Amino acid sequence: MIKLENLTKHCGRLAAVDAVNLEVQPGEIYGFLGPNGAGKTTTIRVMMGILKPTSGSVTLGGYDVEREPEMAKAITGFVPDRPFIYEKLSGGEFLRFVGSLHRVDADLMRRRIPELLEQFELSGWRDELIESYSHGMKQRLVLCASLIHEPKILIVDEPMVGIDPRGTRTLKDLFLSLAKRGTAVFLSTHSIGVAEEVCQRIGIIHKGKLIASGTMADLHRLAKMEEGKLESVFLELTRDGSSPVE
Amino acid sequence: MRITNRPVTSNSLFVLLSPFVLSWKNELLRQGEKKWPRRAVLLGLGLGFWAGIYWIVRRVLIYFETVHGLGPALAYQLLLIILITFLSMLLFSNLIAALSTFFLAQDLDLILSAPTPAAAFFGSRLITTTVNSSWMVLFFSLPIFAAYGSVFHGGALFYLWVLVVLPLFVIIPAAIGALITHLLVYWLPARRIRDILFFIGLFAFVILYFLFRFSQPERLVQPEAFGHFLEFLRAMEAPSSPYLPSSWAAEIFASVLFQRPVELWFFYSLLLSYALFLPLAVSRLSGAVHLPGWSKAQESRQGRRQGYLLDSVIRRLTRPFPDTLKAIMVKDIKTFLRDTTQWSQLFLLLALIVVYLYNFKVLPLDRSPMPAGMLRTVVSFANLGLAGFVLASVAIRFAFPAVSLEGRAFWILQTAPIDLRALLWSKFWLNLMPLLFLGELLVFLSNTLLRVPQWMMLLSLVTIFLMTFGITAIGVGVGALYPKFDYSNVAEIPTSFGGVVCMICSIAFIGMTVVIEAWPVYLLTMAGLKPGSSGVSGWALVPSLAVVLLLTVVTVVLPLRLGLKRLDKLRD
Repeated sequence: MIKLENLTKHCGRLAAVDAVNLEVQPGEIYGFLGPNGAGKTTTIRVMMGILKPTSGSVTLGGYDVEREPEMAKAITGFVPDRPFIYEKLSGGEFLRFVGSLHRVDADLMRRRIPELLEQFELSGWRDELIESYSHGMKQRLVLCASLIHEPKILIVDEPMVGIDPRGTRTLKDLFLSLAKRGTAVFLSTHSIGVAEEVCQRIGIIHKGKLIASGTMADLHRLAKMEEGKLESVFLELTRDGSSPVE
Repeated sequence: MRITNRPVTSNSLFVLLSPFVLSWKNELLRQGEKKWPRRAVLLGLGLGFWAGIYWIVRRVLIYFETVHGLGPALAYQLLLIILITFLSMLLFSNLIAALSTFFLAQDLDLILSAPTPAAAFFGSRLITTTVNSSWMVLFFSLPIFAAYGSVFHGGALFYLWVLVVLPLFVIIPAAIGALITHLLVYWLPARRIRDILFFIGLFAFVILYFLFRFSQPERLVQPEAFGHFLEFLRAMEAPSSPYLPSSWAAEIFASVLFQRPVELWFFYSLLLSYALFLPLAVSRLSGAVHLPGWSKAQESRQGRRQGYLLDSVIRRLTRPFPDTLKAIMVKDIKTFLRDTTQWSQLFLLLALIVVYLYNFKVLPLDRSPMPAGMLRTVVSFANLGLAGFVLASVAIRFAFPAVSLEGRAFWILQTAPIDLRALLWSKFWLNLMPLLFLGELLVFLSNTLLRVPQWMMLLSLVTIFLMTFGITAIGVGVGALYPKFDYSNVAEIPTSFGGVVCMICSIAFIGMTVVIEAWPVYLLTMAGLKPGSSGVSGWALVPSLAVVLLLTVVTVVLPLRLGLKRLDKLRD
C-alpha cells in the first residue's frame, strides 16, 4: 500500500533522507522512529508531496506521488506534527472544507462530521471558531479531517504531541481499529511506548538512513540483543553521536 | 511573582533588548546574500520617495517665499500641520505597537517567567515600541526638515536642533501609547482591543481624509483663494495647540529658521521634561497593572460561528463554480469577513471612492481655455489610467495577499487531492468580482459626472473591464510568486518586496493599455471638434481594443503561470 524506493531528499548538501526503501501492507501499522533531526518529518513531507524527492519514488496505493499526485492524495489521510489550520473557521466548517477538497459526497459528509466530532470529543465545539481551541483540540480536529474521506492510508507525524492520556488511548484504539479495517497506518513518533504497543513493524531512521526495519524480533536480532524493551534496541541502534538538523 | 522589583541595571536592559538587536543583525547579515538585490531595489525606491518628498516640499516652500511678507508664516503653519500629523500617526502606531510588544508578543511567556526587573522590562519594551512605530515617520520626516533647512537657510544649527528635538518628540507619543494600552488592557481583553483600536484608527483616518479633501486644498495654490487661506491659518492657531508637543517642536524650529522671537529654551525644557517624566510615570503604572493585564490578555476569545443567512448568501454566490473552487472561495470569504483587520479596510475603500468622485464634481473644466468637450474627453481618458491605479492599489491590499493568507495552513491544500491551479483560479475569481464592480462603478460615475460622449463611455467601460482582469491576475500571480506564509500581521504582506513588484507590474500594464488606446482616442476627439470634417468613426478603436485584449490575455496567463510554477518550486 505504501512503497518508498530509494527515496532521497537533499536539503542543500545535506542528505536529509538517504536512499530509504520500505513497504507497508494494507492493515499494517508501521512505526517510524528516529532521534531528533533524523529525517522523519522530511520523509513524510516527501511522501505527502509537500516536498519533491531528489531521487527515488513514493507510491501510495499504487499511485506514484510525483506522477499521479491527486490520485495518491485522494486515498491518503495526513496529520502533520503541528496543527496549523484556519483559525477563523469553526470546527464544523473546517471539516466541510477538507471534505470538499477530497470531493466527499455532501450526504456522506453530513453523516461523517458529527460522527468524527463525537469520536474525538469535539461535538460541543463544532460551531466555535478554531482560534479558541487548545493545541490538543486542534490536533484532534486535524485527525478528524484526515479521516473524513475514509482513507486507505493514514500518515501521521508525531500524533501524541499535546494530546492528554485519554486522547492518547483513543488514538491508539483508532489506529488499531483502522488497521483492522485494512487501512495502512504510517506512524512517525518519538513515543517508543506507543510504537511498541500498536505497531506490527518498526523502522528506525538515523541521519537520513533507514538503519533498521522489521518486527520487534528482527530489531532485537539487528541490535544483537536477546531480549529487552524497544527503548534499549533504539538506543543501541542509534548510539553513535549527534544528529543532523531536521 | 515573575517580575521583580529589583532596580533596573543597564545590563538587564541590554539583555532584554538583545533578541531584538541580534535578530535585526542576523536578518541583515546572515541571510543577506540572496536579499541584497531586493534590498537595493527597496533602498532605491525609498531614496526615490525621499527625493520626491524633498523636491515637493522645497517647491512648496519656495512658492510660499514668493508671497510677500507671508512666506515664513505660511511655512510655519505648514510645519505645524506636518508635525501634528506626525504626532497623531505616531500616537496611533504606538498604540498598536505597544499592545503587541507589552501584551501579545510570543516571547512574553519566556521573559515574564524569568526574574526580570519590572523597570528593565518596561524600558526594553518601550524602546522596542518606539523604534518599531517611529522609524518610518522619522525616515520620511528627514527630507521635509532638509527642505526647510535649505529654503530658509537654517544651517548646521537647525539640523542640530532637529537631531536633538526629534528623539524627544517620538518618545512622548510612545509613552502615551504605552499608557493608554496598559489602561485599556487592564479593563478589556487585549485581543478585543486590537480590533477596537484598529477600528478607531481607521475611522479617524477616514474622517481626517474627508476633512482634508473637502477643505479643497487645491484652493491654496489659487491666488484668489488667499482670503480663505488666511482664515484657515487663523483657525489653525486655535488655543488648544500650545499644549501639544508638536507645537513645542514647531516653536523651536521656527525660532531657528524664521528668527521668531520665541523662548526656545522654554519649549525645549517642556519637551525634555515630558519626554523624561512620561516614561517614568508610565513605568510605575506598568509595574502595577502590567501583570494583571497580561494575565487577562491570555484569555482566549470564544469566537462562535454566526450568520446562517450569510452562509446561504455565500453558497448562492459561489454556486456557478466547480466544487473545489467553491470550497476554497467559501473558506476565503468567511475568513475575510471574520477578520476585522481585513474587512474593515473596506471603509478606506469607500472613502477613496467618495473622494475620487468628489474630485470630478469640483473639477473647474468650464474655466479652462480648452474647449470643454475636448477637455472632458481628455480628462475621461486620463481617468482610465487613474481608475486603473485605484484598482491596482486595492488589488495590492486584497488580491496580492490572497495566496500568502493561506499562511501556515498551506499544507492542507498541498496535501489535498487538488491541482494548485484551482487555488490560484479561486483567488482570481474571488478578487475579480468586487474589483470589476468597483472599476466599472468608478468609471461609469466619473464619466457621468464629466458628461463624456457615448463612445468614450463605452470605450472606458470596456477598457476598465479588461484592465481589471489583468490587474487581478497580476495581484494573485505575483502574490503566488512572492508568497509570505509566515506573516505575523496581514499588513506586512502588501509592503513586502513582492508588493513593490506587483505595483510596478500593474502600473506598467495600465500604462501600456492607455498608450495603446491614446492614438484612436486622439483622432476621435479631434473629429468630434470638427463634425463632418473627417471620416474617423468608432471603428478606429477596434484595432487598439484588439491589441488591449491580447495584452490582457497575456497579462492574465503569464503571472498566474509564473505563480503556479513558484508554488510548485516550494516543494524543492
